[in-house]
Amino acid sequence: MKKCIRLLAATLTLGMASFVWAEVAVIVHPSAGFDSLTEDDVARLFLGKSKSFPAGAQAVPINQNEGSAARDKFNEAVCKKNASQYKAYWSQLVFTGKGTPPKDAGDDGAVKALIAANPNMIGYVDASAVDATVKVVYKIP
Amino acid sequence: MKKMNSIRKKHSLALVVALCMAAPLTLAGDLNLSGFLSVGGGMIDDEDSPGYGGYDEEDLTFDKNLLGLQVTGQVNEKITATAQLIARSETDYEVNAEWAYLTWQASDSVKVRAGRLRTPFYMYSDFLDVGYAYSWITPPREVYYLPFNNVDGVDFYVTQTVGIFDTSLQAYFGGFDDELTLGGALSEAKTRNQMGVAGTLGKDWWTLRAAYHQAELTVDVGNIPISPTTTMGGFATTLTALGYPDNAARLLVEEDDAVFTEFGLNIDTGRFVAAAEYVEFDPGDAVLSKNIRQYVMAGVRAGSWLVHVTGSQAKDEATHPEAGIPANQAMPVFGSTNVLIGTLQAIAQSQVTERDVLSLGVRWDVASSTALKFQVDDVDNKTTGDQKVFSVALQTVF
Repeated sequence: MKKCIRLLAATLTLGMASFVWAEVAVIVHPSAGFDSLTEDDVARLFLGKSKSFPAGAQAVPINQNEGSAARDKFNEAVCKKNASQYKAYWSQLVFTGKGTPPKDAGDDGAVKALIAANPNMIGYVDASAVDATVKVVYKIP
Repeated sequence: MKKMNSIRKKHSLALVVALCMAAPLTLAGDLNLSGFLSVGGGMIDDEDSPGYGGYDEEDLTFDKNLLGLQVTGQVNEKITATAQLIARSETDYEVNAEWAYLTWQASDSVKVRAGRLRTPFYMYSDFLDVGYAYSWITPPREVYYLPFNNVDGVDFYVTQTVGIFDTSLQAYFGGFDDELTLGGALSEAKTRNQMGVAGTLGKDWWTLRAAYHQAELTVDVGNIPISPTTTMGGFATTLTALGYPDNAARLLVEEDDAVFTEFGLNIDTGRFVAAAEYVEFDPGDAVLSKNIRQYVMAGVRAGSWLVHVTGSQAKDEATHPEAGIPANQAMPVFGSTNVLIGTLQAIAQSQVTERDVLSLGVRWDVASSTALKFQVDDVDNKTTGDQKVFSVALQTVF
């Protein structure tokens, strides 16, 4: 039991360490007609509560794969849910046909490539991965 | 025969949906498969007292298992087909299409569905079988007791942001055929002209819910024995012959207008969780009791652990099938009308459940899609005695 707790503590510390560093940037296609979104706007899109950008265009949120540091940080900071709460939240909607969670699209590179090619998509990447192919509309410090 | 029909119907409906999905999907390949699993079991504290929640042995038994698969296929841009197949250990893992429906996404906020749907009786109705989605192993049985979980029909679901609030409204119409255990005997039951509305209003960490349902309810109670020599049906015939046809009608459940109402509150701040529901079932002119049920749950999350306490209560009221029969009148065979009154009152009373349950539970999120849960229920049944239940379950989604 003691070992178990120590192991748990070590995992937690390690897990935290990985998101202390990086800033996460929420990105859209450079052609998007807006330059910033609020945390609430972003959260509503990623929790399936709204399906379009405040300006009116259809929005397709894209997740990084489970276990990525950016995803964990994004979920905690914007959706206010840890990995399992996030999963439980979506399982309430998936098994009712009332919603479909954002697709898991891969890592920073894969998400950035998708966003750069799709004017309707919104995703998040480690801030260090941002370049001119995408536009940053919100930053999680 | 009736049963055969309903099974055939069940299968043919599933088949239609499966075909709808298969045809375009072999081409499109846009098929979504998700599933959920729950394995678990439990034991009770005292075999001399009646069991609870399906547990009646002092030895730990692992016989509460369930596997569900949900297939969703995109028929075209606006229409999807969904089927949910569930195998339960309680029914020997016989696979049942509990849901099979087509969804027409009329707009971003409006959905119209047709087929076999989950009836939105409760706050957790939609994902009742997906234990992973909530804190308990199963929601409180005092409140979650209605047998008609599904409905064959159509519904309309709209979500809307009103000011700063998130709202939803679901309205449906349909009917359902099912089997109920009443007085120890299996009875055919059905609802017709069943309709209801359920609405939610929420913001960030809280959601309020209210629902209203009504239906013409028929339960075949005629064969239920009320004494070694008489059945409900026989007694009803006797009452009619004695000149009390109204009382006979009340004894039988035939197209009686039943009403079910629900109020719920759900809170999840991340650190604290809470939920409460109050429900009332009014059986109309039927001998079934008026059910008044509620629960309150509160819990605290710490890392991947969630500890919760729930108090739930069933406080039913007996109906009065004897109303209208004059007391103390001499009569043939029975001697006095008091015998009729007493028998009717006893039948009504037998439908009453009065029970308080205090539950303590723990949920441990072992991994991102797997939760291990423990629960202790302290059951105080006013008529049959006390019981303690210890249960455990491992629940996943995939």
